[in-house]
Amino acid sequence: MNIKKQLKEGLITQNPVLVQLLGMCSAMAISTSISNGLGMGVSVTIILTLSNIIIALLRKIIPNEVRIACYIVVIAGFVTIVDLMLQAFLPDIAASLGVFIPLIVVNCIILGRAEAFASKNTVAAAAVDGICQGIGYTVVLLIMCTVRELLGNGTLMGYQIMPESYTPALMMVLPVGGFICLGVLIAVMQWALNRPKKEKEGK
Amino acid sequence: MNISGKFLLRVAGTLTCIALTVAALLGAVNGITAEKIAAINEAKTAEAMSKVVPVEGVEFKEIDVADASVEAAVVYGTLVSMHEVYDQGDMIGYAVKFVAGGSQGNIEMVVGVDTTGAVMGVSVVDHAETSGIGTKVCNNETGMLDALEGMSMANGEITVNKGTNKIDGVSGATVSSKGVVKGVNGALAAVMAIA
Repeated sequence: MNIKKQLKEGLITQNPVLVQLLGMCSAMAISTSISNGLGMGVSVTIILTLSNIIIALLRKIIPNEVRIACYIVVIAGFVTIVDLMLQAFLPDIAASLGVFIPLIVVNCIILGRAEAFASKNTVAAAAVDGICQGIGYTVVLLIMCTVRELLGNGTLMGYQIMPESYTPALMMVLPVGGFICLGVLIAVMQWALNRPKKEKEGK
Repeated sequence: MNISGKFLLRVAGTLTCIALTVAALLGAVNGITAEKIAAINEAKTAEAMSKVVPVEGVEFKEIDVADASVEAAVVYGTLVSMHEVYDQGDMIGYAVKFVAGGSQGNIEMVVGVDTTGAVMGVSVVDHAETSGIGTKVCNNETGMLDALEGMSMANGEITVNKGTNKIDGVSGATVSSKGVVKGVNGALAAVMAIA
C-alpha cells in the first residue's frame, strides 16, 4: 500500500473526472456554486470510501457472477443513508443538490472504483483509494465551481467579489458554461500530463 | 452450461443477505431521520403559508380538496393541499399548496388566494431552478412574486409578458417565471372551482 502514490493518482495521474472521465454529468450539473460543489464532493467522498471498504471486505464472499448487483445494492444503501442524513441535518444543502444526491447511485466513479480497485485490493487500500479519488473529484468540482460562480454570478461562496460594474456572464452558470469549463480543464490536464513524456521522447 | 443447486444457492443467498443487511441499515437510519425531515418540511410549509397572508396571527385549517378543484387545476400542475385562512374567526381566503413545472424541475409553492379570487401572496417552498437565473424568480429577487399580488383570473388566466392579463417575467428566466405563474393560475382555478 502506498498512500502517496494513491493520492497522486487520485489527484493527478488517475483523476476521476479529468483523466478517467467518470462522473462528468454530476460535475457539470452541480458546479454552479462553491457550496454545492463542496456538499457534492464531500457526499461522494463519503459514499465512495464507505462502499469501497464494504466491497473490499466482501470481495471474497461475493460470487463473481452477481458482483455488479451486489455492488449496486451496497452503493445504493449508502447513497440513501447520506441522502436522508443530509435532508435531516443539512436541509439547505439537500435542497440545492436536489436530485443529484440520489443520482450518485449511478455515478460511474463509485461503481468504477468498486470494480477496478476495491474488488481486487485490501480493505485499507480500498479505503485510501476512496478518500483519494473522492478528493480528486472534489478538487475538480471546486475548481469548476470557482470559475463558474465567479464569472457567472460575480460571487464566491455567495459573497460579491467582482466589482459592481462587472456584468455576470450568465452563460457560465448555464450548461454550456459547464461544458466549456470542463473541456478546458481536461485539455489543460492532458497537456500537463503529456508534456514531460514528449520532452523525453525528444531527447 | 451446468448450473448446480449449490451454485444457485450461493449466488442467490449472498445477494439476498446483502440486500437484507442494507435494508435493515436503511430502516435504522430512517428511524432516526424521518421525524426530523417531517418537522423540517412542516416548518418550511408553515413559514411559506404565513408569508402568503398579508395579516399576522392567522389560523390555518386544512380542508379536503374537492374533486372540482383538482379538475380545474390539473392543466397547470398538481394540487397538493388547501387550507382555509381565518383571521380572528373570519374566513379571509385560502392557502393553496401547488406544484408546477419549472425549467429544471418542479416548483413547489404556496399561493394565498382571498375570498374574491385574487392573489394575496406567493411563496416558493422548494425548487430546483438554475442558481443565479431561475432563483431570481423563486427568491423574489426582482419582486416578481410581489407583483403577482392582487392579480386574479377574472379576465382569463394570467400570462407572462404578453396577453391582456399579463405579468412581466424575469428576463433570462422566462421558463421559471412561467412555472410560477402556472402555479398561481392553478391555485386560483382551484379556489374558483369551490367558491
